[in-house]
Amino acid sequence: MIYGKLWTVVKPSVGVPLFLGAVAVGSFAVHYALLTNTTWVKAFLNGNSKMVVAEGSAAGAPAAPAAKK
Amino acid sequence: MDDPNKVWPTGLTTGESEELHRNIIQGTQIFGMIAALAHLLAYIYSPWLK
Repeated sequence: MIYGKLWTVVKPSVGVPLFLGAVAVGSFAVHYALLTNTTWVKAFLNGNSKMVVAEGSAAGAPAAPAAKK
Repeated sequence: MDDPNKVWPTGLTTGESEELHRNIIQGTQIFGMIAALAHLLAYIYSPWLK
């Protein structure tokens, strides 16, 4: 713990919400980037049950369309 | 000059600041572990990296 004295110079009522807010914004940005740059996230959210792992499922579903990225 | 009872501009002493920081670090570690688990589940159940 090398930054233990941080809160003697940064007000916790400012620093803590700022820190949590930054994590929330970052997380939102990553999820949004995934949503807009992949097909499988949207497919998953649409309840696309045909989505199979790329190398085919063990159940041997007849030529189930694998959602490619 | 490191007076443990000195109240700094933020209204905290060094001890209080370190106590708060220990909790912030622990919270961040817990967040990190949950995120790692989520990434593991995403790797297993989604086409990510396949």
